[in-house]
Amino acid sequence: MTESKDNIETNENIDPRFENLAGYVLGALDHAEQRSSVENHIEKFPDVQAEFEELSETVDLLALGVPPVSPPDHLKTNIMELARQESTPSQLQLLATAHGAMSRRSWWQRSFQSGYAVAAAAAALVIVVGGGMGYQNDQLSNDFNNLRVDLIAESTVVANLRSELSTTMMDSETKVASMKSEMDVMEDEFGATTEMVVHQEEVVSELAVANNALKQALRDQIWLTYVTSKEGYQVESWLADNTQQVTATKTAAYGLIAVRVVGNEAVFQAHGLDQPQSGFAYTLWLMGNGKPLPVAQFGVSEIGSATIAFIMPAPLQFYSSVMVTQERVNGLGSDPSGTMVIFAETN
Amino acid sequence: MNRLNYQGLEDLELLAKIGDRDREALAALYDRYGRRVFALAVRILSDPVGSEEVTQDVFMSVWRRGATYTLNKGKFTTWLFSIAHNRTIDELRKRRRDRSRENTDIDDHLNIESTDVSPADAVVAQSEYDKVRSAMEHLPVEQKNVIELSYFRGLTQTEIATKTGQPLGTVKTRMRLALKKLRMALSAETGAQA
Repeated sequence: MTESKDNIETNENIDPRFENLAGYVLGALDHAEQRSSVENHIEKFPDVQAEFEELSETVDLLALGVPPVSPPDHLKTNIMELARQESTPSQLQLLATAHGAMSRRSWWQRSFQSGYAVAAAAAALVIVVGGGMGYQNDQLSNDFNNLRVDLIAESTVVANLRSELSTTMMDSETKVASMKSEMDVMEDEFGATTEMVVHQEEVVSELAVANNALKQALRDQIWLTYVTSKEGYQVESWLADNTQQVTATKTAAYGLIAVRVVGNEAVFQAHGLDQPQSGFAYTLWLMGNGKPLPVAQFGVSEIGSATIAFIMPAPLQFYSSVMVTQERVNGLGSDPSGTMVIFAETN
Repeated sequence: MNRLNYQGLEDLELLAKIGDRDREALAALYDRYGRRVFALAVRILSDPVGSEEVTQDVFMSVWRRGATYTLNKGKFTTWLFSIAHNRTIDELRKRRRDRSRENTDIDDHLNIESTDVSPADAVVAQSEYDKVRSAMEHLPVEQKNVIELSYFRGLTQTEIATKTGQPLGTVKTRMRLALKKLRMALSAETGAQA
């Protein structure tokens, strides 16, 4: 169906007072000013009000004429529960719905959310009640009573909220202190763990050095075994542990000399020697009837061992004793002057 | 003690009791109009969950503002459905701003299935629905569209003019004519309906 000419009413034919009336009842006006204007006309002009009522009732029928759909049962339950909560603003309800239900509360309820507001409202209440007595207005009195009841309830709620807040703050402070303490313990444990790791790394490093030294010593020992068994050497003299002769060091150093059966080549091996001081090296001395004779100068491995080959100046039986001292690196001196670390009588 | 029959009270009597914070009066009013408010919201929003929220807000408004209602505001049903319609349209416009319903076809709103209605209610509701539907069908298409676009789609007069390409004055005129024709058609069918 389309509009017939009879149905077309041009805008010019409409009384301006009625122009926006249909849009008003249909909720289709664009601006608040238009709505105010229509409401003003409804209030002022009976004919406008009459048409407003007619159109409104028609719009009611539009609402009644929608396809029937039943709401779920819980909807009524929810509404009644909300109404119950708003009837009796218990502490529990207000605490539980403080956030969500704010928008559902009336303006004067919302205005009582702070202690200051409560105090201000109490002051206002006293003033207004004093003035209201003169009016003897029952409705006003009821409102005041309701306001007073709500004010008391709100005051209780505010007091409880303050108490809750105070308790919560104390709990929070306790928790913060406890967390700080735990963090201190964790820091200590972390520090200890770090120290352990550093120590273990040092141990590993030392073990690696010792391992290398042992490998070197093993190679020396293998070489010594080789030369003594295959090249005609034999151990001519064991140097005993000389702890008792050593006074300047706690090292219990010891060593041996292997001398070739035919010829004058010899091998000296020592163990348990400390690293010599900077600029110093160990010197092997042979001592007969005359003054000590230096035969070799040597350093030591990381584990304090050394193996050196040297030429015997004379057969070993010409020497009554052997000693090792620390001497400056600058060549072999004529007399021992440094600390003696090994001394032994030859057999 | 005789228990008060709330179902037998008039709307205004129930409102007076609501003013006294009588929740049973609210329950009675909900029983009387809750289904219709919910159905209106569903018709406009096509969203049962959103319609529940709207219906809840409407009846909580009645609970809070019922004591302030006066006959100066028109019939109670006019006042109630005005609250319901405004609240639903607000929700619809909010959603439209979110562009969640941009492409919904107008006719989608007209084909909502009836669900979960008691047989007695269904008869009454179907009867009302059929009458309004029939009256709407007898309107010229252009007039029917302005009702649909304004009341059920929440468009303003200017928005309808833009959407239909018609002058604003024509839109206003069609709105007024459509409502007057509907009134005549429905009055003829229902007599003293409403």
